Order: sequence, then C-alpha cells, then structure tokens
Amino acid sequence: MIAQLQIDPTQLIEPWTARWFPQTLGSMLVGITCGVLGCFVVLRRMALIGDALSHAILPGVVVALLSLGWFGVQLDGLPPWFLAMWLLVGALGAGLLTAVLISLVQRKSRAKEDSAIGIAFTAMFAVGLILISSLPRGTHFDLECFIYGDPLAVQTPDLILMGVVCPAVLLTVALMYHRFKLISFDPVVAAAMGVSVAFAHYLLMGMLASTIVAGIKSTGVILVVAMVITPAAAAYQLTNRLWVMLVLAGTIGALSAGLGMSLAFMVNTPTGPAMVLVAALLFTLAVLFSPNHGWVFDRLRRLRLARHVAAEDVLKALYRLGPQPETGYVEPIGTETGLPPRKLVKTVARLCAEAVLTIEQGRLMLTQVGKRHARELVRAHRLWETYLVNEAGFTAEEVHATAEDLEHAHELSDALFEALGRPDQDPHGSEIPRREPG
Amino acid sequence: MAMDELVARIIGVTKVYQKHKAAPPVHALAGVDLDLPRGQYLSIMGPSGSGKSTLMNIIGCLDRPTEGAYLLGGDDVAKMDDTELSRVRGRHLGFVFQAFNLIPQLTVQENVAVPLFYQGIPAGERNRRAAAVLERVELADRMSHRPAQLSGGQMQRVAIARALVNEPSILLADEPTGNLDTKTGDTILALFDELHAQGLTIVMVTHDPGMADRCERVVRLRDGLIDVDEVGGKRPVTSSSAV
Amino acid sequence: MQSESVTASSDRAIGGAHPWAIEADGVTVAYDARPVLRAVSFRVEPGELIGVIGPNGAGKSTLLKCMLGLIRPDYGSITLFGDSIRSTRRHLAYVPQTEAVDWDFPVTVRDVVLMGRALRGPLGWLRAADRAAADQALRQVGMTKFADRHIRQLSGGQQRRVFLARALCQEAEMLLLDEPFAGVDSASEQAIFKLIDDIRDAGKTVIVVNHDLSILERFDRVLMLNQRVIAFGPPAEVANDTNFRATYGGRLALLDQADETLRRRSMPKDTHLDRTATD
Repeated sequence: MIAQLQIDPTQLIEPWTARWFPQTLGSMLVGITCGVLGCFVVLRRMALIGDALSHAILPGVVVALLSLGWFGVQLDGLPPWFLAMWLLVGALGAGLLTAVLISLVQRKSRAKEDSAIGIAFTAMFAVGLILISSLPRGTHFDLECFIYGDPLAVQTPDLILMGVVCPAVLLTVALMYHRFKLISFDPVVAAAMGVSVAFAHYLLMGMLASTIVAGIKSTGVILVVAMVITPAAAAYQLTNRLWVMLVLAGTIGALSAGLGMSLAFMVNTPTGPAMVLVAALLFTLAVLFSPNHGWVFDRLRRLRLARHVAAEDVLKALYRLGPQPETGYVEPIGTETGLPPRKLVKTVARLCAEAVLTIEQGRLMLTQVGKRHARELVRAHRLWETYLVNEAGFTAEEVHATAEDLEHAHELSDALFEALGRPDQDPHGSEIPRREPG
Repeated sequence: MAMDELVARIIGVTKVYQKHKAAPPVHALAGVDLDLPRGQYLSIMGPSGSGKSTLMNIIGCLDRPTEGAYLLGGDDVAKMDDTELSRVRGRHLGFVFQAFNLIPQLTVQENVAVPLFYQGIPAGERNRRAAAVLERVELADRMSHRPAQLSGGQMQRVAIARALVNEPSILLADEPTGNLDTKTGDTILALFDELHAQGLTIVMVTHDPGMADRCERVVRLRDGLIDVDEVGGKRPVTSSSAV
Repeated sequence: MQSESVTASSDRAIGGAHPWAIEADGVTVAYDARPVLRAVSFRVEPGELIGVIGPNGAGKSTLLKCMLGLIRPDYGSITLFGDSIRSTRRHLAYVPQTEAVDWDFPVTVRDVVLMGRALRGPLGWLRAADRAAADQALRQVGMTKFADRHIRQLSGGQQRRVFLARALCQEAEMLLLDEPFAGVDSASEQAIFKLIDDIRDAGKTVIVVNHDLSILERFDRVLMLNQRVIAFGPPAEVANDTNFRATYGGRLALLDQADETLRRRSMPKDTHLDRTATD
C-alpha cells in the first residue's frame, strides 16, 4: 500500500492514455478491415487459409529485416514509414507465396485443400523460425510479441502501416464489391463472364496478408485469425444481404478491437486475448439473438406457432363435436386435439377472453367469428388432403396427419382451391366448405 | 383533433358477406369512417342487421374489413394475417360480453391472468397484476374462488377484470348487462363510468337507448352506414376533448 | 481485370454478321489421359435452339465448359460468331446447374440477377440502366414480387428462373443452360421452356444441356453426345432406337433413366407455389 501511494499519479495515468488512444484507434481500424475482409473469407470457406496466412507472414517479416542487413542499412537510421513499408512488402511476398504453394501442393499431389494448407503454412513458419536465429546481433526481433501480441510493442511504424493498409484495403473492397460478390457466390459463372478468378483470389489473399501484418502486433499470430473470422461469422448470423454483412462485420470488428483494447488496459491483461474474447462474446450474442436464425427468436417463434396451432385445433374440434358442457369439455376435446388438459383449459380460456369461444347456458361453443374461422380450417384441411391425393400421389388413408400440419397455412386455401379445379369433396367424400367472401 | 390523441382510426371500411356464389352479396358495412379519441366512452347503437356487430368485430380485430383501413397502435390491422391479429387482440384489446365466458376449471385469479400468460409474462408478475386488477373491481377477496361460486354481477366484474389486466388501448363491451337484472346491471354500468373517469377508452355495443345518456358519444348505424354521430351526454371531468 | 469491363454497348450486329453461332472443329478433351470428348465437330446457326443430350459422363458439361472458354481443348477449336471465345465472351450468358449454389449466401433474388451486370460500368459499379435491366429480367421470368426475398426462400423452379433472369440481364447473344430441368416438377419445366422459347424467338442462340429424353421435340436440333457426336439434327430425324442405344449404351443407361424417373417421383412437389407465381 505504502509503495503504491508513493507513485506519482500522473505517471500512472499519462502513459495509459497516451498509449491507449492511438493504439486503440489503430486496432479499431484493423478491426474494421479484418471484419470486412473476413466476410469474403467466411463466405468462401477459407478460414483455414486465414490462419495459414497469419503464420506464413513470419518468414516474410524476418527476411525483410535480414535484407536490410544485406543492403547495409542501419535499422536505427531508418525513417519509420520506410520500415513499415518494407515489412509490408515482406509480409505480402510471404502471403502470396503461401497462397501459391497451397494451390501448387493441391494440384500436384493427392493432398486435398486442408492438408495442402497445413503443409504449406507450417513449412513457411518453420523457415521463419530458423531465419530468426540468423538475424544479425543487435537486431531485436521479439518472437513472443509476434506470437502472442503486445500492444506496448506497437510503435510508430506499426501505426503508419495500419493507417496506410486499412484505408487502401477498404477502398479496394468498395471498388471491387460487385466482382468479389460474384466471384464468391458463383466462381464458375464469374470465370465464364471473363473475370480473372485467380487474380481476385490473390488480390484477396494479398489484402488479407497486409491487414494481418498491420494488426499482428496487437493480437499476435495465434489469435489474429479470430479477428478475421469471428466478426464476419457473427454478422453472417444477422443478415441476408452481403453489404449489410460487410457493414456489420466491420462494426463488430471495431467494437471487439476497441472494447478489447480498453479492457486490456484497464485490467492489465494481454490485448489480443481480450479483443478475441469480446469478438467471441458478440458472436455468441448474435447466435442467440439473431432475428432470422437466432436460437432465442427461433424458440419464441416455435412457441408462438405451437400456441397458434393449439388454438386452431381447439376450434376445429368444437366445430366437429358441436357445443360441449362447460364443465365436461376437457375430455372429448382433449381426445380430439391431443392437447394435455392443463394446456387445453388455458387455450379455451384465452379463446373465451377473445370472443372466439363463448359459454352460454352452461355450454362451451363457437361464436360467429369462431365458426367462420373453424370452417376455414376445415376447408384448408380438406383441400390439402385432396391436393396430397390428387397431385402428390398419397393414398387417402395416409394424408390425414400431413394435412393436419398443412391446414395451419390456410392463407393458401384459395390458391389451392383454384389449382385443384374447385373441388366439392375431399378424398374421404366429405364436403369441402366454400369460402365466405369478405 | 390531432392524430396523436386518437387510439384508433377507421377509414372507409366495408364488409361484404356472401353466403354462396349465387346469393346476392350482403353489405354489412357500406363504408364507415370513425375516429376514436383516447379516453372516449363511445356507444354503438342500431337495430339488428344495422352492422353494429360487424363493426364491433372489426374494431375487436376478430374480423378483417373487405376494404378500407383500420389503424390501431400505429399499424393497419386490415392487412394483418390471423396470427398477427390474435397478437394485436392480446396486446391492445379487452373484451366484455353478455356471456361472462369464465372457465369453470380455473380460479378467479387464474381466469383474470389468462391474457397475460400469452404475452410471456412470468407467473409471479401475472398473479400480482391479476390481484391488483381484481382489487380495482372490488373482488380481491374472491381470488381463489371458482366462477360457479360467484353471483352474476360478480362474474361480470371478473370478466371486466380479465379485460383490463393487459392494460388495453380499448375496452370493448358487447351488451355487458344483457344477462343481468336491472339493479346488478346498474352496478356494472357504474363500474364502467368509474373506469372511464380513470381515462379508459371504452366502446360499447348496446340496443338499450337508456345507455345513450351515460356515454360521451353515440354512434347510430343504419344499413351499414353511420346514421347519427352525436357527442353529448356525460362528459368526464378529465376529458381531453374539452381542451 | 480492366479489359472485360469495356462492355458498355453490346454491338448486336455480331449475332447476324456471321453464318455460324458456334463452330466446333474436332474438339478433343482428356482428363488424366482419359478422353472425355473425342473429335467433336458441329455447327450451330444463330437463333437456333439446340438440345445437347447424353448420359452422365458423356462429356456434356465438358463441352459446355469448352464453349465458355473455361477449358481449352487438347485438340481442335471452337469459335463463336466466327471469333475466338476470348473476344466473344461478353455475348455469352451461362446458367449453371443449381446444385453447386451456396443457398446460404447472403443475397436476395435481385442481387443475384444484378450479378449479370457486375462487369458493366466503370470499376464494376451498377448504374440505373443496370437496375432497370435487372427489373426487366425479373418481370420476364415472373419473379418481380420475389425480388427482395433471400434465395433460400424459393422453390426449386423459382430458383432456376432467378438464374435464368441473371443470364437475360446480361443481354447476351447466346445462352448456355446446364441441366435447367433437373429436379423441377413438370409445371416449372413448362414455365422454363416457355421462357427459353421466348428467348429463342427474340433471335438468340440457346444451347440446353439435358440428360432427359422426354422433351427432345421442343428443340430445333438435337446433339446426341457420348464422348463423340452420335447424331446431330432435327429431333424427328435423330430420335430413333439406333441413336438412343448408341448414346445411352445398353442396360446401364436404362438403369440411370429409371433412377432419374424414381427420383423425380419422390421429389416434394412445388407445383402449387410455382403455378401461383407464373400466373
């Protein structure tokens, strides 16, 4: 306690904000770019390639550093922008080399794509590890930082790299959007239309390698792929439009990076894992709460549908059975609908509260409105039975259960009625009620 | 009257029934416009066959108009499918009928809580709200009774409580005193007056001309059209239309 | 990437200028020394509706890919409108089999159709004219009211029509369709054929690859293919037992046909939805 009190508070705060701001901004920029590019990676099922690229960058970066020595350039005297660009060139070269190697192994051996990727990137990584030991004395290469990420190591050249690469990549995606969409969706048609699919592939790989090398110091090689995949996968849960997916993935990427970075500074943990965990959390939320595919809404929809179906089944049963004694309806309707008593009573109570059923002189019956609704259901049921027998080749004995499910889509009744040539009777010989217009 | 003071708007609504193809179509409603301001106590009157039940069914989202629009809670109900309609009924409307429609298998409190169940409100909250609204109709001491143990007037008060429990935008009442003797009926009407004074929007269908002077506004239908639309009768102290 | 975007105005003269829409001359393709096409030669006039039929493995798709310039023949050559495929590519539209499509891809019906215009404007951006062309194509195939649906929310027949609309949107002189009837019910088949007829009547050349024998009579000419050209001519002339046997081989081919018939019968029908959509 005493030791802490003696620390000058400005020393605690100043480095915190001074580092936090530019680095968080930089990471968020990388987060956006990773998210946007990640959409194409996810849609083209290239997640493994993303991982491969991030590892394969190591030899590129090391060779870039080594080559400075070959040219006799002193690291200390270099302007930061030059170093940044030089590292970018190395990473790009290594990334593209890996992409070429992968397709080469795939074509010239029996190895499938996943094996080819595994072979190519581990070999590249191994080359990188060996080259590190040959770096001249005095060149400091922090392997640990490369692997795990270290925001404190993010310096001016890295920030320059982020500032150049990210806008360039985003601009390219914006310009090439329709082409990338076509190529990702339908590569064969794209090729037939004359798009160079290989060029687009390598362009994408190159952009991915550049973005990864820009972001690698804050996340580390192991986790950087998460910043590519996770935000895009989360966005994929949420939308059916590609451009919306790109916007969402960029936003989620920026959020993950910004929140993760801030969190890491506040509780003093490594930034990479914090960013990745935030992204994973957002992904989980997307999976649970997506309005289209989300688990929660899916459950809700099912529940609502189940209730809707229960209500309609009760109506139909009453239509068939006629009015029932208010104290003795549970058993006959329960048998007819298969609803458990508790649920049946609740459903009846609700229909009574909404004027679809009524209790008069001790008897539970349909109101005018209820009767009309029930007729529509019976009509739908009998029309579907007719359809299944006449058009889908079922026998009259088989169709009841299927029609029982289909009848709840009674909006289709009219179209069905016309398509079947306005039948009067269902396959069992029962009359199909006509619709009451209105 | 400004739009934001309206609970519901009915614009050019028609309803045509046709028993079968050869039969002449029946125009139950032949083009009705009706604005319903928040907090109004409106009664719909007219001889049988005048279209008042049809109008009631449309206001209650039990039926869709053949043509026209019905705006309720910002949505055009006329364009909704059955599932959406039943959700709107559960959210925005409360019903009171001549028949009390209470379920003998459930207690008073359970009967009242039914509309909340379908909104996914947890059990504790359901019971608390049912108890609170039963307090409002002065039946707090009968919560665990069954409907069969109650008098007719009490049963109708339970039905009113059930209609109020989801805090509806409109309370729809269809001949609510039809099954009750005059004295009991008066206590029910007094309860409506009280609810109206508290700001509730009420639409009542009745053929009892004596009702007219209890209401703020009376709409008389004839042959599917609005024949008379008179604002008068009792006005509550808190009426917004007085401003 | 830049060269193909210079397609601003399609000179329609190309369709009528040359006597042959397709000239295939001794096309031979082998995969791993296993020949798939052997010395295939034929000529198609502009505005013809051609059916290419043959069993699975007869080389139909390979021939199609040769015409699209996706595969270069080991021997022989194909020219389109008297020119190399490279330079006539923009006059071609290809409707692929729908089996390979990723139905979860985040695109709507309109997005897919607009892909037919992806290479038009400068830098590949879409202009108002492109959107109008897409709307027109959607109207033509009767899918306007489904334009904003996700592609998964369609029946099999509707999915075919979307891809057909994309090809229409390309405003090409020649359409190549790969198995457009596989897995659709007879109502959709009729609707698609009606569209194909319309396209041909508009003066376009249409090549349909199909492995079903049931609709031969609707083509102007039929190319029966089994690695080599078995017969090529009007359906009435080429539809005979000798040719069928030569094309489909013996017993094995019959089994294939039986399989297909069974598969069709067990397909869940989507006639209802399709009918309402085409009406």
